[in-house]
Amino acid sequence: MMSLVLTGSLALSLTACGSSTKSETTSPTDSTTTNTTTTETVKEKDVTITFQNIFPDPTDPKNKLMNKLVKQYEADHPNVKIELDSLNTDQQKLKLKTQAASKEVPDITIVNPAAQMKPFVEAKLLAPLNDMLDENGLKGTFQDGLLDWYSFDGSTYALPDGNNIGVVYYNKELFEKAGVKVPTTFEEMLTVVKTLKSKGIQPMGIGEKDTWTGSFLFMNMLLRTNGGPGFLQDVVEKKKTFEDPAFKEAVTAFENLVQAGAFQEGATSFDYNAGENLFKTGKVAMYYMGTWATGGIETSSVNGKVGVFKFPTINGKGNPDEFMLAPGSAFAISADSEHLPETKAFLNWFMLNFPKEAFAAKGAVGIGQKVEGDFKAAGYSDTAMEILGLFKEVKGGDLSFDNTMNPGTAQAHLTSIQNLFAQQKNPDEVAKEHQAAFEANNK
Amino acid sequence: MNVLKVSRLTIAAFVLPCLLIYISIVFVPILVSLYSGLLDWNGIGEATFVGLDNFRNLLFHDPLFWPSVRRTLMFAVFSMFEIPVALFVAILLRRYIRKPNFLVSSYFLPVILSVVIIGQLWKTIYNPGSMGGMLNQLLTAVGLESWTRVWLSDPSVAMYSLYFVALWQYLGYHTLIQFTGIMNIPAEVYEAAKIDGAEAFSADRYITFPMIIPIFKISIVLSFIGSLQAFDMIMVMTGGGPAHATDVISTLMYNMSFLSMKYGYGSSIAAFLVIVCLIATLLINMIFNKSEKRYT
Repeated sequence: MMSLVLTGSLALSLTACGSSTKSETTSPTDSTTTNTTTTETVKEKDVTITFQNIFPDPTDPKNKLMNKLVKQYEADHPNVKIELDSLNTDQQKLKLKTQAASKEVPDITIVNPAAQMKPFVEAKLLAPLNDMLDENGLKGTFQDGLLDWYSFDGSTYALPDGNNIGVVYYNKELFEKAGVKVPTTFEEMLTVVKTLKSKGIQPMGIGEKDTWTGSFLFMNMLLRTNGGPGFLQDVVEKKKTFEDPAFKEAVTAFENLVQAGAFQEGATSFDYNAGENLFKTGKVAMYYMGTWATGGIETSSVNGKVGVFKFPTINGKGNPDEFMLAPGSAFAISADSEHLPETKAFLNWFMLNFPKEAFAAKGAVGIGQKVEGDFKAAGYSDTAMEILGLFKEVKGGDLSFDNTMNPGTAQAHLTSIQNLFAQQKNPDEVAKEHQAAFEANNK
Repeated sequence: MNVLKVSRLTIAAFVLPCLLIYISIVFVPILVSLYSGLLDWNGIGEATFVGLDNFRNLLFHDPLFWPSVRRTLMFAVFSMFEIPVALFVAILLRRYIRKPNFLVSSYFLPVILSVVIIGQLWKTIYNPGSMGGMLNQLLTAVGLESWTRVWLSDPSVAMYSLYFVALWQYLGYHTLIQFTGIMNIPAEVYEAAKIDGAEAFSADRYITFPMIIPIFKISIVLSFIGSLQAFDMIMVMTGGGPAHATDVISTLMYNMSFLSMKYGYGSSIAAFLVIVCLIATLLINMIFNKSEKRYT
């Protein structure tokens, strides 16, 4: 009974969050829309589009540009009213799952690429967007190949707001203080970790309570020991198993890093923000994360002291130009939307204007569309320029684990990696755990 | 019913609204959740009926399930052990403090704080010394360096660290309940006992304990059921980690239903939790009914 009350109240609180944001954001626009519709439009019917999004933070450039674009669209199309439902990422994921269970997906929502959005596509909850992509040349604005992560059987179901890669941020000042250089091999990286440690500087920070953080780093190591991308794909296709030597080698390397004391004590109770803050406040020297973190780091106290480097080779294996790829969260349209044409028209216009506005708001590092303009002249920081340079060197890579495998296997993996922070385990056992979970979830 | 001299119809009419609400928000969801426990369903797509497969996997094949049941029950047992302590504090308050209201309210303070705040507070207290953790620094300062731990990340102590926070938070709550119970015992009884030569702790033994049993029972039931549904604090502090070391039934259910997207399997865990709660409540009631009869 308690559990039901629990889940019930969870769902309630989620919807409560949603509706409160709705009422806040719509109230100012209410009067203007009704006024204009009565005078100007006669034929066009009034339409309200619900726009669920993950930009609730008013200081985030993406929140500002979304509000700006929405207001502008409402002004140009008096019959269209756009209701924003702004939630943070975890809330949105949960709310969408709850809504999907009762087939009440909002007109526009946010999904994640590949394996994570597959259940929604299979349940026919999302509308194919091919026709809309062809309008006004929207398709051409996206980076080549990016839309493939959001396409199933030739139809594209979502439009990404970002495309990032995994890099190691480092604090130049702390590196100088310890007299270490940027490592080019994993073995050098271990030495750097030990040197930093001996000088009393915490080498790396991580927010491992959220589990995907450690997995993201681990997968980059697997990308190296496997000598290239596609390990998980091979497992899915049953060409390899998790008991492959490449996987065990990655586990060993990862454990070496943990045992060398790279990460802060008690890492598993630090959530993502707390982990990132260690780096942002200059308490740790290195931080492995997707390039989406750049904006936050630039506005922190370590701004100007930060450099980035590619994750190095392990035992001479792998190519540093292959990265962990993180195609971003993406806008999708509900297949059951009552105003499908209007919603498509709005999203088309929104995405066409997205890169330009993002560039102006200094949020264009790591967006999924091609951007025209001189970043340097527009005042982007050195770190941002360095990352833009790295983007040009990308020669493929892998997606994160939970974007490749089904949720059941992914959860088992995430827990298994988190465990490596708490206790040392035999790589054979870790491999067996993974294989067992994979088999149990792919009957 | 006959005593009231009202027609059965009237009674039914008055009971009905409440009954309907109760049925629709308690019984129907339980039944729905029992039914989804029989499905193989990710919460979004098509569901297939698998009979009792979920329950079979849960009870016999899931390596995570029984450990989390054990942790849940330990949680319940620990919080029941807390009640005598609360009673003791209440007795001390009643006997030695002239105006105990201020103290009782301060003990009660943690209860009205949001669990998220409490979780964050204790997370900082439990932090490693190098990150400014108070507990570890305190231990180091008094020379007990060997006792320092990464309290929330060491699987062998993490769960106990969580128990402690819950006990700390609810001590004031139960103290208040016990205190109110003691205050309700008529002073004449104690005066009479004093004449008979029963004072201090012998008065407690023969007067306070027997007369407070109904209140004691309320506390026990509340703490037991409360700890079975412990969820928020664990979510805030460890999220069930590291590696399920602090998972209890409810967090496991959440992980399964929403993260692993096995909604049917999660529902079967929920059904199990319902059954445990029912059995526990019945059991506690039975035990106390016996002891109440003995004393009154």
